[in-house]
Amino acid sequence: MSLTLELKKIKRTGFFPAFLAGGIIAGAFPVINTAARPEMFTSMSGSAAEILMSANYETIAMLNLLLLTAGACILYHIEYAGNGIQKMQTLPVSESGLFFGKAFLLVPSFFLMLCIEGTAMFFCGIHWFGESVRASAIAGSTAVGALAADFLRCFGFAFLLTLPAALLLLLFSSLCRNMWVMLGIGIMCIFLATMLPDDNFLISLFPFAMPFQTYAGADRDLVIRCIIAAVSETLVIGLIEIILIRIRRLFA
Amino acid sequence: MNIIETKNLSKSYADFTAVSNLSLHVPKGTVYGFVGPNGAGKSTTMKMLLGLTRPSGGTFVIDRKSYPHNRVKILREIGSFIEAPAFYGNLTGEENLDIIRQILGLPKSSVNDALELVGLTQYRKRLTKKYSLGMKQRLGLAGALIGRPPILILDEPTNGLDPVGIHEIRTLIRSLPEQFDCTVFVSSHLLSEIELMADNIGILNHGKLLFEGTLEELKENAAMLGYPTDNLEDTFLALIEDDNLKRGEKR
Amino acid sequence: MNILTLTLIEARKIKRSKILLILAASILILWIPNIINADMNFQMDDIGISPENSFFIQGFMGMVWFIYPAVMVICTVLLIQNERTNNGILKMLALPVSTASLCLAKFILLVALAAVYTLASAGAYYISAALASGIADYDFILAPEYVLPMAGKLFLASFPMLTVFWMIAVLITTPIFSVGTGLASIVPSVLLINTKIWFLYPMCYPFYILVTEYGNLAKNMSSSPIEMIPWIPTAVAVSLACLIIACMSFGHAERR
Repeated sequence: MSLTLELKKIKRTGFFPAFLAGGIIAGAFPVINTAARPEMFTSMSGSAAEILMSANYETIAMLNLLLLTAGACILYHIEYAGNGIQKMQTLPVSESGLFFGKAFLLVPSFFLMLCIEGTAMFFCGIHWFGESVRASAIAGSTAVGALAADFLRCFGFAFLLTLPAALLLLLFSSLCRNMWVMLGIGIMCIFLATMLPDDNFLISLFPFAMPFQTYAGADRDLVIRCIIAAVSETLVIGLIEIILIRIRRLFA
Repeated sequence: MNIIETKNLSKSYADFTAVSNLSLHVPKGTVYGFVGPNGAGKSTTMKMLLGLTRPSGGTFVIDRKSYPHNRVKILREIGSFIEAPAFYGNLTGEENLDIIRQILGLPKSSVNDALELVGLTQYRKRLTKKYSLGMKQRLGLAGALIGRPPILILDEPTNGLDPVGIHEIRTLIRSLPEQFDCTVFVSSHLLSEIELMADNIGILNHGKLLFEGTLEELKENAAMLGYPTDNLEDTFLALIEDDNLKRGEKR
Repeated sequence: MNILTLTLIEARKIKRSKILLILAASILILWIPNIINADMNFQMDDIGISPENSFFIQGFMGMVWFIYPAVMVICTVLLIQNERTNNGILKMLALPVSTASLCLAKFILLVALAAVYTLASAGAYYISAALASGIADYDFILAPEYVLPMAGKLFLASFPMLTVFWMIAVLITTPIFSVGTGLASIVPSVLLINTKIWFLYPMCYPFYILVTEYGNLAKNMSSSPIEMIPWIPTAVAVSLACLIIACMSFGHAERR
């Protein structure tokens, strides 16, 4: 129920169009980047997915995080702007239901964005790396199918690893009445993630640093550890939000 | 002399007409009551006079100045208060007024003067986001009265006030023309309330002016048409109902 | 009404908005990792830059490429949303000030915030350099005669970018789009500073200047002087156009 309610509330806020536009812009990035200097990338060693991901994914992750920040900001801004949250608090719905309803809007929108980006990358792979893709195909599977599977794994991994950041942004948003404060905190977290050294596993678990990890080229062990970390962080952040709502009500 | 005059002022949106061919005449130095049910177009009219909404037809002149050519000059003479309280929640009542004071180029004392007029002096240091509805309403009024401008445009100024507050504000508005030599253009959806403050009345329904004139004229008019006259509220209701019926027929 | 008084009024409106706190926090986040990683500046032999120059460049690089533009986008959000939250803008539009000067006053405040940020960053640089010097037992501190003009140059170069951000904030009234567009516009700078058409993209001006300076300071990096033409005419034209468009459309949404 809370999901349909939330869907109604974001009417006319441009929420879905923003994610759609974000996906298209972020998807255009690898296409333009590769089109501008194809020889440079095709001459590199490694699989098509590895080359494309290492050349473009950091920028895409950055755009994703920025858009998630704006999206999370809007989801609660509409509550605070007209004091709608107060009305919500007086209605027989749980406030954590509100939070998870919003999370179920934010996450699929982000998923949609990743799909567009993944498709764009896949297109780059087919278009510019056609020959090497065919050459590396293992007997029994089609080359295109293998490439698609590569990108599915990459973006599935990216999706899981961005979940904690998305939820954390929504948590900030739920706590800040003024949208610029939430934006400020979000931006600083993203910035901090870009400043952190990437060779330390513990530091790379910072929710905003995880989205910058790439699946391509990482060893299996690390991938599994990252996924476990991402899922548990997501659960912990959800739990923290529930506790914070309780605490806030105590002091209200 | 009419200080506010509109000529066939109209505002239509894509799917409906909020105000149509409105010609108002507000004489200088009087209180003009602008009455009509909710959604009649009172606020839209006032917003057009303040340049907050662009008229889709017609013209108006305020103190011999025309819009939009003299927008800033017109606004310099008007103190305004429009329905929803407009303020900065992160500032105190006093700070909010001080911003308006500085823009109008008024002396520092005018802030206290305005606070005093609406009875907010003791709450002046409180953040406006913590104000009660009545206090916000008073702050809005103070923002209109500050500097004692020659023209006041007040949209439902007694909304959200308690009976004592309503009485205070009413008395204040009634006394303004004599006290500061100004003209007040005030709206309400209660004729009984307007009756207590206004010299002239304009009645609006569905964007059309049904009547304009003094209270006595309204009574005479009503008697002639066979409406009840012993209670003005009944007169008003009958007038509106009749108009609504006529509109129904047209459709 | 004098534009300066109007600006001071605007400055009072953002009281208790916590914006200075956000600015300060972002500066801390920028410089603390730089102090901690100060010894990395000794491993720059292949680039041929001295540790003290490297420390300066690395710190300011983080600032101009991302956090400074991002914080400025947030400032524009603050300046616009503060008006809209409780309809303060309606009162302003009903007062005898021209909307254009109102818009200009807000922009001047934005520029002032940018100036404060740049100055504070220069200050933070000196504190961090002093701390890093103590930790690494090496003098990281550069002369103010070099640092301050450089900071000033970066600030001036960011002026066109500020006009673009301001125009975006004024024109796009849907908050998610205005914030999203502003923030997303920062990212392509990384690509564009390496192209010949960098001068067409105001968001990368400060970044470009600093990267050029990096090239000048590092022996083993190629550097080319900044070509003033067509950069300066483009920058002036862009700034003017953005400011004029912003001032003309300010308050339109509220006035329908």
